[in-house]
Amino acid sequence: MNIWATYQRKLEDEQISPPLAAILSLVDLCATSTAGTMFELVKALNEGSDSLKQHSPNPISINAGCELFIAFVTLFPHDSASFSDLKMELVKQGETYVRQALTYRRKIGELAVDFIKDDSVILTHSYSRVVMETLLLAHRSKRISVFVTEARPRGLGVKTAQALTAAGIPCTVILDSAVAYAMDKVDLVLVGSEAVVESGGLINAVGSLNIAIIAKSSHKPFYALAESYKFHRLFPLSQYDLPSHNPRILSFPPPIEQDNILGHPSSAVGSEVPSSRITQEEIAKNNPDVDYTRPDLISLVFSDIGSLTPGGVSAYLVGMFAG
Amino acid sequence: MASEVSNTPTQRAVENLAWKLRRRQIVGSRATALETLLVLRHVISKSRFSNMEQLVTIIRGVGRRLVEAQPKEHSVGNTVRKVLHHIREEYHTATRGSAAASYSGFSISKFVLLGQPRKNTPLPKAESKGTLKENDPDDPDSFARSLKPVLMEAIQDVLDELETVYDNVSKNAQNHIHSDEIILTLGMSKTVEAFLISAAHHRNYTVMVLETAPSYGGRDMAQALSAAGISTFLVPDSSLYGLMSRVNKVILGAHAILANGGMFAITGSLLAATAAHAHSTPVVVCAGQFKLTPLWNLYHEYGALDFGDPSQVLGFEEGSLVDKVDVVNPFYDYVQPNLIDAFITNDGDHPPSSIYRLIKETYDDEDNEL
Amino acid sequence: MAALELMPAAQPALTTTEAPPSTSSSQPSQKSMSKAERRELQEKQRAAKIAQKQQPPGDAPNKPKSKPKPVAPQNPTQPSGADASRSKDATSAPTMDAAEMSKSRNLRIFSHFGLPKHGPGLKGDIHPCIVRLALQFSEFKICGANARCIATLTAFKTVIQDYTTPPNNTLSRHLMTHLSPQITHLVSARPMSVTMGNAIRQLKLEISGSDIDMPEQDAKDLLCQKIDDYIRDRIIIADEVIQDLACRKIKDGDVILTYARSSVVEKVLLSAHKQGKRFSVIVVDSRPLLEGKELLKALTSAPPVSWTLSNDSLLPPPPPIPCTYALLPALPSLITEATSVILGAHSLHSNGAVFSRAGTALVALMAKQHSVPVLVCCETYKFSEGVMLDGFGKNELAPSHLFRDISTSSQEPNLEILNPLYDLTPPSCITAVVTEVGLIPPSSISSIPMALGRISL
Repeated sequence: MNIWATYQRKLEDEQISPPLAAILSLVDLCATSTAGTMFELVKALNEGSDSLKQHSPNPISINAGCELFIAFVTLFPHDSASFSDLKMELVKQGETYVRQALTYRRKIGELAVDFIKDDSVILTHSYSRVVMETLLLAHRSKRISVFVTEARPRGLGVKTAQALTAAGIPCTVILDSAVAYAMDKVDLVLVGSEAVVESGGLINAVGSLNIAIIAKSSHKPFYALAESYKFHRLFPLSQYDLPSHNPRILSFPPPIEQDNILGHPSSAVGSEVPSSRITQEEIAKNNPDVDYTRPDLISLVFSDIGSLTPGGVSAYLVGMFAG
Repeated sequence: MASEVSNTPTQRAVENLAWKLRRRQIVGSRATALETLLVLRHVISKSRFSNMEQLVTIIRGVGRRLVEAQPKEHSVGNTVRKVLHHIREEYHTATRGSAAASYSGFSISKFVLLGQPRKNTPLPKAESKGTLKENDPDDPDSFARSLKPVLMEAIQDVLDELETVYDNVSKNAQNHIHSDEIILTLGMSKTVEAFLISAAHHRNYTVMVLETAPSYGGRDMAQALSAAGISTFLVPDSSLYGLMSRVNKVILGAHAILANGGMFAITGSLLAATAAHAHSTPVVVCAGQFKLTPLWNLYHEYGALDFGDPSQVLGFEEGSLVDKVDVVNPFYDYVQPNLIDAFITNDGDHPPSSIYRLIKETYDDEDNEL
Repeated sequence: MAALELMPAAQPALTTTEAPPSTSSSQPSQKSMSKAERRELQEKQRAAKIAQKQQPPGDAPNKPKSKPKPVAPQNPTQPSGADASRSKDATSAPTMDAAEMSKSRNLRIFSHFGLPKHGPGLKGDIHPCIVRLALQFSEFKICGANARCIATLTAFKTVIQDYTTPPNNTLSRHLMTHLSPQITHLVSARPMSVTMGNAIRQLKLEISGSDIDMPEQDAKDLLCQKIDDYIRDRIIIADEVIQDLACRKIKDGDVILTYARSSVVEKVLLSAHKQGKRFSVIVVDSRPLLEGKELLKALTSAPPVSWTLSNDSLLPPPPPIPCTYALLPALPSLITEATSVILGAHSLHSNGAVFSRAGTALVALMAKQHSVPVLVCCETYKFSEGVMLDGFGKNELAPSHLFRDISTSSQEPNLEILNPLYDLTPPSCITAVVTEVGLIPPSSISSIPMALGRISL
């Protein structure tokens, strides 16, 4: 089977996020697998997840889902009489989990809503399903207004703004570069996440780190929302330690021929030369999709298993995968 | 409902405490915790239950009643949670033999919960009590009868802990206060008082007490400390910043310690902690573990949304002003964890970052909402 | 008359804690330092004697009342002198046990806090209006840097008018010797403020520069004129400019937080209200002085502005300023609501630090934490050369008999009540200082003399 195509198909459902799609793909793989032993099954699953990662430009969230499912499979008590029964059981477990997981956003929203007081101004970043759920839930009982960043290059902030405005929540799109300007008017920052990692830090759409730093310097709380399937066993030491980093990001363009500039200084200033024209696509190509927010910048992580401090997140991760 | 409630002596005891709490006739976290515990003991010893769920429901009901009576006094809820935790622990020890088959419910969401930090439960004692039977149709009281003695023991443990809390907090006082230091404190906290007096047995040091307007609890504190032979200076709140450059340590009391390592404390604490932070002076909080509260601060500026009497601030002798001016007199401050260097509790010293783990170990998650 | 019965203080005028670092103070300072040492030595010996009688260690030999007179001249600007005396103590009284050591150490830590000395006996020829003024100072009837400066200068005008140059002397040489004991007397009532120091220095300059050939009455009139000019230019006009500048920073809907009471801040708020700006005020206050209540009274009883004619339409008077009042510990709860903080000052220092009523630094610190801008309104004549690093070294204690609260009795031998009056706000907590030469960042305070076009103030 083509696992990547399966993954894409699963992802078409608006509610399914990448880690869940990855789990579902692995469940499908499990169902169709011909493996006769646990060892073979785990091997097949690992191969499947590797192939998913290779196809995806941003493997971090897929990783989190695959990791969770594979770890679960390896730890599953397999005293079933026949191995095919066990596979069916695993498939059932996976599907049940995904069904359960869809209720998590609601659960997180309920936790987070308590932290939003009446009449508060919330800053959010880009588009996140769990943040949307939380904001809509808060809107029912409290007066809130929202600043959302435009979130270049993908511009998903506009999508958030449209959805919120449609729901009757006052919402303004601000430039990514205007976050510092707006911060003093903000009561709290709410962001979603691609993954929450072992350090207690957060991986999210690029720009989150900027917001977190600005929030910290203005003493505003920075809350992250993350379903527990986004907990990822990864310890990034820096931005460049992320699996999504590649040499193309932040690379410098090859130098323009020197004599060209020296010979015609005026033409170099006026960007008439087609090769030196800077397009949005080109900028996006040399820039990261996600960044890593350090745990000391995060006030709390809301998850379906409760509100956690960054330290609590790392305790969970260690407990899940080492315990 | 009400008539039914006041019928049995058990419920009368609960109502009586709820009444006292509501009228603030019982003040002070430790006194409240003690009273709550005594009522719970009474409830457990008198009530009838034939399985675990019934018992938990009974206790939760009592807990909810008391918490509703005085939601600002967190030690009530904490005590109930702690008792519930102990009950479950005793129950699990008693039923360990029969509960091994629970692996059949293994699922991914359970697997995620494996990561939950909790104290390693000691290995079951060699002799497993297989006699514990729930829902015995022949003898519905057998469960209660066999469990009650251990429960009473567990409650007695909690009670002992509460009774020795000051001694245990101040046990290591001399390791924290050194000779010739200048200590700053504020308000009236029994725990801090015990801690400072205990340190004075070993060290000569000076205490500066802020008056802590408008309650002026600092004055009582200063009296108590100087009576114990500690050289004490009583200073107004306004001098805090000016004196801070000479202060070696700030020691505060807490009203409630929150799950993120922050705390609610008497107003003025945040000011003192901030000024100390600006001078890189360590801030130490003395508190019993019954103040650990599995809650978060939801409202950042008004600590616990509890307000005192405005006439304490602007008395009626200022008659002409009183009706023209809004007077604000909040009870508590919320002090963020980054302003606190250490918590000294009756069970060891902890940095704010480990409070979260401590709370997870002390209470069961399902009890956070009673 | 109460003040007259109390102990005479030997300290000369310009050596008290608040005196500007002037050159004339070195000689008397040495003299009184030896005196202080002697006194300290006596204390030690007495303490040792009591210790030998095996008193319980809790019983302090030094009752609060017998606390040594503050060793004011030996203030921390002369650390070498203080150290010398300390080491001498250590060798002279090695028998003291630890408890005694710590007691005396405490006393020494606070010893430099200038406790107000009560009026010296009328030494020399003190003018009655100075006697009255000293009494008003010592009882805090006249309080605040501006008020004290104006009152002093006004009193000096009377003194100058009543002065006649003795024969064989000139006014420019002798008047100052006549004024010196008056100043000494004032300082003995309450340490001199920086503002008074600056004004007196200016006055001295004027006196020494007065024309010898001028008839005496003309010279006195000229001096009085100069004093009036000083008050007008440096205080009254300056305040008007400050009001104007600060008002521009108040916008409709603002919430202004202020601490205690500053005459300038009060004027700023009232004039902004008069201009029709709709803003509210949070007054934060603290013991011992509780001056904020005065400010509240002034703000709430702001004269009901009558209907005004504007653009041919009659406008109703603006509603009174909405005020909120709270004590200092409640500050963190209120600072989030404030849009700006306006504070007054006692003096400005060249490192940008602002010396002001105790508690001001806390307000500025909290405001900084919440990124609320902090404006300090301060006339340039409050500028004091020299750097100040903390508010502990140089401070003044409020006399506890005036500000003792009923419920505290200091019968406990180990209990002392201290009421420091000032603290120092570090420049990092201040956004701008509003002066009559404009809004200046604290880092540029040292350029004030240049901005005024003179080398010294």
